[in-house]
Order: sequence, then C-alpha cells, then structure tokens
Amino acid sequence: MKWIFIPIFLTAAFGFLKAQQPVVPSVGALPPVKPATDGKVWGALVYATNDIQGLTGSTEVAPADFADIPGRLGKVFPFQRFEILGQHLQDVFREYESWVVPTKDLFLKVDSKGPAEGGGINLHLQFWRDQQVLVKTDAVLKEGSPLFIGGPKWREGQLYFVLVLQKSR
Amino acid sequence: MKTPSEDHDLIRFLDGEMSDTERASFEVRMETEPLLKSEVSLMQRMSADFRTHVPAEMPVPYADFFNSQIQMRIAQEEPVTLPAVRSSWFDWWRIPTLATAAAAVAMGGFMIVQNQKQPANNSMVHSIYVPNPSVQAHSFHSNEAQATVLILDGVEAMPSDRQMVSFHIERTETDQAMATTTLFGESGQVVAVVAKDSRNQPRLVSANPRG
Repeated sequence: MKWIFIPIFLTAAFGFLKAQQPVVPSVGALPPVKPATDGKVWGALVYATNDIQGLTGSTEVAPADFADIPGRLGKVFPFQRFEILGQHLQDVFREYESWVVPTKDLFLKVDSKGPAEGGGINLHLQFWRDQQVLVKTDAVLKEGSPLFIGGPKWREGQLYFVLVLQKSR
Repeated sequence: MKTPSEDHDLIRFLDGEMSDTERASFEVRMETEPLLKSEVSLMQRMSADFRTHVPAEMPVPYADFFNSQIQMRIAQEEPVTLPAVRSSWFDWWRIPTLATAAAAVAMGGFMIVQNQKQPANNSMVHSIYVPNPSVQAHSFHSNEAQATVLILDGVEAMPSDRQMVSFHIERTETDQAMATTTLFGESGQVVAVVAKDSRNQPRLVSANPRG
C-alpha cells in the first residue's frame, strides 16, 4: 500500500525542484546601438583633365549640397573637366576610426579629435593609395570649406580627393 | 631583507656611479659579505645576458604617427619664437618644433607644421607628414574657391591602363571585435570590406569582380 505514495512523492519533489530553478527570461534582439559621431563627411575622388575624349564616362554626380565642388576645383587647378569617379558619405565616429572610400585605389582614414573651436571637427587624416600611406595630416574641417588633396597623376590628368563636412541638420 | 639604502648602493655600484672612495669601500664590503658578493655577481651576469640578447636600439612602433601627434601638440601649445641671438650652432635644437620635425626627417619622412592664422570659418591644415622623402607637400587656402588645398608633389603616377574601382557608398557598419568596416552601396548591397592586417595597414576587399 505504501508503494503508491512513491509516485506522488516523486511528482511533488520534481515539481519543487523545477520551481527552484532560475527562470530564464526570453531575450529578444538588442536594439542596434549607433556609435557616437562628431559629424558627417562627404568624400569623393575626382579625375581632372583637359582631354574631353579621355573622360572615363563615370555617371557619378555630387549630392545637391556639394554640387558646386567641381566648379570650386576649377578655381584652384588648371583643368577644364572634373569628373567624379566615386563618392562616399560617412559618419565621423567619435570613438574609433572612420574610412572614406570612394575608390578602392585611393581612400582616406579619418580619426576624430573632437569638435573644433568655433565649429567644425579636428581630424587626423591619412590618405592611402592601396597599402601605402601618401600623407598624414592634422586638420580642422569646417562646414562650407572643403579640403582638396592633390593625388597622383593619371592618364592625361590628375586625381584629386575632396573632403567636405556636411552641414549639421 | 635589504634596506633601500643597500639596494641603492648595489645599483649605483653596478651602474658605475660610485666615486673611487665609495667603490673601494663597497668592494671591501663584498669581501666580508658573501651574500652581497653573490648578488652582485648574479646581477652582473643578468646584465650581460640582457646586453647580448636585447638590441641596444629598437624601432619605435608607429614612430611617424607618434611624432606627428607630439609635434601637433607642441604647435598648438607653444608658438614658435626664434631666439634673437644664437649663441651656438646647437641652439636650434632647443626650438621644440624644429627638433621634433628634424627627428621625423631623420626617420625618412618629411613633416611640416603650420601655425598660420586663418579666418575662423575656413578649414585648416595644422601639420603634414609625408613618409616618402621624395614627395614634397604644402598647403594653402584658396579664397576664390573657399577651400583648403593640400598639394603633394612627386607622388608616383597611377599607371594609365589602371582601371579605377569606384564606389558609391551610402552607409557603413563597423565591427569593433573584428576591426572591419563594411561598406554598403546605394541599394544597400555590400560593396566592399575594409580590414587591417598585422602591420595595421588597410586591406580592402571589393565585391566588384574587377576589384
């Protein structure tokens, strides 16, 4: 007769043990954390030439905010045509490096050094050609004041890297 | 346990910093204190081993970046003032900016520091470091274009037959753990990934078949 109490005892014991186990809450996907930024830059690689026949046929067009960039390049460099080969809109991360890569051949590493006095960002820039760094520079980038970097000659013209700080919205 | 003064004497003896009198006195002590003598002997052997196996000079990792950062801080904090009278040829080493720049030049690169005043709303280049000594760099501000210009003279030309692998990047995602940045194009497609190799140099892997 007493054997019939064994299953009752085991059931009660397992129930007690189960109640003692920590309850694991269901975990959903964490919302993506957007890294802190100090601003946004637009970078482009531009091919400058006087040889209209030698244009690459690139269809890249500057965004409306930077549509005047080819014209401004023409005020500095002695070329008639400025063709955007590639472009990249990039957040400038506060905590770690950012890359501005309009082409695989020539690109820029950007490290923020914090907001500049009177607006803009203090930046450490590295201009890379493949695995070779061409120049490293500490600069202040201000809204409405682009930085033009003269790159290597190519074909009948020259390559220029443009970096502009996007206006804060 | 030795007192700090005993340690201090031992180190000064090993470093050859004692006067003749002090050294003679220390040597007498060693003859009467076998423990001290064995410790000196042990330290001298260790020192000799270090000299044998560790090079006297080691390259500074990321020396160019290190120098550029020091140089920039100096430029920001101390306006360069040339002495009115130079009493000796080495006086110029006392100008910190020049000395740091000279160190960078000695490492094979070329550094320029600029402290020129610009209007507050203009971009500005503070310092330039060019690792390749055959490349000359300078910067200026174009009032007409309202732009700051960094010129690199002497950069090797791109081969004319080289096809540029161009991107239109709208968005990136950075993976801190993997130290990679994924570049996304206009349609949200992966265009390329930037990673860094063991020498901290970027490696760009393109999804473009030409890349």
